[in-house]
Amino acid sequence: MPKCTINGKEIEVKEGTTIIEAMFKNEQKIAHYCWHPGLSVAGVCRLCMVEIEGNPRLQIACNTVVTEGMKINNASDKVKDAAKWGLDFHLINHPLDCPVCDQAGECGLQDQYMEFGKYDPEMAEKKVKKHKVVDLGPTVVLDSERCILCSRCVRFTDEVSKTSELGIFNRGDRSEIGTVDGKSLDNKYSLNTVDICPVGALTSKDFRFRQRVWYLKDQETICNGCSTGCSIKTYFNREGFYRVKPAYNEQVNSYWMCDEGRDLYKFVNRENRYLKARRKTEAGWEEMIPGAGAKEASALVKGQGDSLALVLTGQYTVEEFETAVASFVQETKSKQVYHWQNHAGKENDFDGFLIRGDKNPNTAGLKKVLSKHGIATSWHEFQSAISSGKLKTVIVAGPENQMHYQEIDTLVKTLAKTKVIWMQSAKNASLEALSVGSWILPMKSYVEKDGTFINYAGLERKFKKVTTVVSEALTLAEGVQLVVGQNLMVKPETNAFIETARRQDQVMLEHRKKNEFVFKRGSL
Amino acid sequence: MSVVQKNTSEASKWYLPGILVGLGITAKHLVSNLFNKKQMLTINYPEQKYEYSPRFKGNHVLTVKKDGSLRCTACMLCATNCPAECITIVASEHDDPSVEKYPIKYEIDMLRCVFCGFCEEACPVDAVRMGPEWQTPGLAGSNFHYGIDQLAYRPQLKGGMLSVLDDEERHKSGI
Amino acid sequence: METKLLTEHYDKEEFRNLDGYKRHGGYEVLKKALKMQPQSIIDEVKASGLRGRGGAGFATGVKWGFLPKNNEPRYLLCNADEGEPGTYKDRLMMEKAPHQLIEGMVISGFAIGSNKGYIYIRGEYDYPIAVVEQALKEAYSAGLLGKNILGSGFDFDLDVYKGAGAYICGEETGMISSLEGLKGQPKLKPPFPAVQGYLKKPTIVNNVETLAAVVPIIKDGAAAYRKFGTEKSAGTKLFSLSGNVVKPGNYEVPLAYPLKDMIYKLGGGLKPGRKLKAVIPGGSSAPVLTAEEAEKALLDYESLAGMGSMLGSGAIIVIDDSQCMVDMLGVLTHFYNHESCGQCTPCREGTGWLNKIVHSILEGRGRLQDLDLLVKVADNMKGRTICALSDAAALPVISFVSKFRDEFEFYVREGRSKVKGTSYAEMHH
Repeated sequence: MPKCTINGKEIEVKEGTTIIEAMFKNEQKIAHYCWHPGLSVAGVCRLCMVEIEGNPRLQIACNTVVTEGMKINNASDKVKDAAKWGLDFHLINHPLDCPVCDQAGECGLQDQYMEFGKYDPEMAEKKVKKHKVVDLGPTVVLDSERCILCSRCVRFTDEVSKTSELGIFNRGDRSEIGTVDGKSLDNKYSLNTVDICPVGALTSKDFRFRQRVWYLKDQETICNGCSTGCSIKTYFNREGFYRVKPAYNEQVNSYWMCDEGRDLYKFVNRENRYLKARRKTEAGWEEMIPGAGAKEASALVKGQGDSLALVLTGQYTVEEFETAVASFVQETKSKQVYHWQNHAGKENDFDGFLIRGDKNPNTAGLKKVLSKHGIATSWHEFQSAISSGKLKTVIVAGPENQMHYQEIDTLVKTLAKTKVIWMQSAKNASLEALSVGSWILPMKSYVEKDGTFINYAGLERKFKKVTTVVSEALTLAEGVQLVVGQNLMVKPETNAFIETARRQDQVMLEHRKKNEFVFKRGSL
Repeated sequence: MSVVQKNTSEASKWYLPGILVGLGITAKHLVSNLFNKKQMLTINYPEQKYEYSPRFKGNHVLTVKKDGSLRCTACMLCATNCPAECITIVASEHDDPSVEKYPIKYEIDMLRCVFCGFCEEACPVDAVRMGPEWQTPGLAGSNFHYGIDQLAYRPQLKGGMLSVLDDEERHKSGI
Repeated sequence: METKLLTEHYDKEEFRNLDGYKRHGGYEVLKKALKMQPQSIIDEVKASGLRGRGGAGFATGVKWGFLPKNNEPRYLLCNADEGEPGTYKDRLMMEKAPHQLIEGMVISGFAIGSNKGYIYIRGEYDYPIAVVEQALKEAYSAGLLGKNILGSGFDFDLDVYKGAGAYICGEETGMISSLEGLKGQPKLKPPFPAVQGYLKKPTIVNNVETLAAVVPIIKDGAAAYRKFGTEKSAGTKLFSLSGNVVKPGNYEVPLAYPLKDMIYKLGGGLKPGRKLKAVIPGGSSAPVLTAEEAEKALLDYESLAGMGSMLGSGAIIVIDDSQCMVDMLGVLTHFYNHESCGQCTPCREGTGWLNKIVHSILEGRGRLQDLDLLVKVADNMKGRTICALSDAAALPVISFVSKFRDEFEFYVREGRSKVKGTSYAEMHH
């Protein structure tokens, strides 16, 4: 454990820590671009210069390992000057098109220039012209002029996604990022390059030009795309959600997430949601306020006894499962609760990095709740119960994220003769085919509620509500409680079973950086 | 601004002298206007119209480029800066990579607008200006949601107002 | 007079063949060396005070000593990517005495315990490549390379690798990248090549002349080598004399040889009627010396460093009073802008910026403040990058502008050269 002094403050760091890591750990400010904690050290931006006592030359903090007794200083005029000029070198060929650039507002160059900049540009020559709006692949667009050649994206494709599509071509100030020999930047993690790009050189086709970032708020939650459960940050304003970015989580996803997960904000937005409870009549669908709809739907449940079943998908929180199962069992005395798993047989698929075959964020949580209530049913039993006509009414907690639920269609068809109370947040065309008398109850999506997800590895993580999109929608707990005829005020006897002592990361979650974005003016 | 109250004399406390002085001024203007119509300040609106200063902040104009397309790059700085929150912009990708971003919708709610001119000042490319027009009668409130057609190509502008900022020249000078 | 330690037999055509080389005592030193302990060879080289002849002047024996003491495979690379403008000594050495280089490399390989060496020759050197490849064939067939050299049990393989013509591949880690098949870009240090170099194995990179100089050192011993030169700059060195002299060429002289003698005695002086204006003593990246400084300068590492310049690769470029310094700087900045690998920001952007400023001066658009700006930009490029290319680009700019400021100011004011009287367009048609 070497001890060193940074700007007069003595600190102790782990063996092998670089100066820049030591500085960030101790909340010291240092200019940097090319260094990224999740990637190898490139040492090319030359901004993180520090003065080390006994060394006449400035050293880069990202490639210098702290040694015993090292005296590091990055507050001297010499260092400040180096950072100033380093930034100026970055800027001389950087087009000042911040108004058009999507990165403006969250741009590393803007932020660092404000903090460390020279404020006295002396470049009077013409800038180097490079390619603009280069289509790198299905997800990413490149603007070479804005690129400062930090090589983060190249290192990402080399080291993390291991697909090596990107490279730096040409030399000197003519250098440009490009894809290798007709390849396109087409991998399952390609949009991470956009996140780590410190400038607006790489932009996501999906988010490009849709919003200025200063109109967006952000809040952390957990991705519900698969059982990995990456920590994510959602960006939204009152008009809806606009994008998803990964949030750092050492245990799960580090700094990354897959491209598929980034699409999962779409079904949350109002235009894709059920806003009202709907009952199918002979004449068509009739709409109602969700709570009232759920109460009316309870007529289908009353006195059904053994001909009633509850079907759950692993897309709701542990707390919801607990309440739903508890009240269902309590009220109906039936233990016909079934776990509906999509992609049967593929749930243990894994691509080796983040993407898992089980496309439900909380399968483990559901299994735990079911076993806690002593329910050991199989999907096969459900299917035979349906085909034998034993079941008259089925309550289905449908999947929020339907990207991998093509089975909805088949399930609706098998339920053609059964009355169904289908609880679902996002619209699905297959549900139009439900039998007469069936209900669709609008549910809250994962960004609209507090809860806990348990991922494939059994890691329990609590997440907080992000915002409200459909204010009248119900949680699964509320839905099932109302449907089985309980009063919402009735709380289940036991709370969700997770002991607080085990939720270490929850404490971390609470201590995480608060959203410091202050809206001075604008539409929020 | 502060109001300075003069020492009020006893005479001014009487109502009638003040009335008479006022009537006197009215009568003076009546007579002088009758005999000297040219200097008369009142004009016969709407037949006659007052000439405002060129810096008058009237209805907005979206300027155009030489080819007649909108100068606006949809940076949304005007909308961000707008204290009345009356500007709505929807940006999109332009076919021409040198243009890159342009507005497919640019709407100003004229009834919410306070004509402060912040949008004009925020604009980095001289795309929005406050024009000279101020007579904007209308019957329904929706008439006052000015879209691109009205802001850039209304008949009074005769094909559009040319922006002072030219991309080609900027590219040539290496900016 | 020249002191021909290495170049003694360079005038003989037969010296480049194995037979001819052997007739002049070739490969005798190898026989001697293979009987020595490797460590004692390293000690001998250390004692000789031999310093890297490629430019940086780092003590060779010390460099060899950095290798980890284990049995990991290690590589010996010969840097023959002679790209420094003005330098052409390695070409001569490879053309005239390829076996001298091979002998030096086998001895060095034996000393550091390497079984594999590469000679990285710049792509433009077609003829030297052919000569060295021919010599390698001869050496292999004579058992001087390959398995069990001269029955000593020592294996050493040697290959030629052809560069593709990038200046930056002359930098040792840039060369290693290029050799690995990557883009020729210098690598971050640490780790140093001696610890982790070619294919992440310990690697020693030495210049052609350094490796060849090992032969006379082992032959006659360190003390004999130390007779030449000074305490800190021992031995002889080849200098490539070029520019406005009557007899340009390669000259081998002991270090600390007066620059004046080099120009006027060996180089035959300037053309009649011309006056010495400046000398670049160590290749284009060395700061320029004025005529007065050149009169006093001695050609060794310390005294040139004391004058703010450097010995570099030993390329002496003589500039007489018919040359326009602004125009020359324009050539240099263009060269460095073109050759910057584009990895580190200060160099990538700075070399371009310097080039643009100098060219806007040349094209008559210069401003007086540009001269200060040139120095400022160059100052801030120095020592801020992975390799020394940005220093190499910055140092000439600083020295040109500060030592010949009157010429630059004249050019800015008048829009034409003070020396030639014409503008850039007229000078270059």
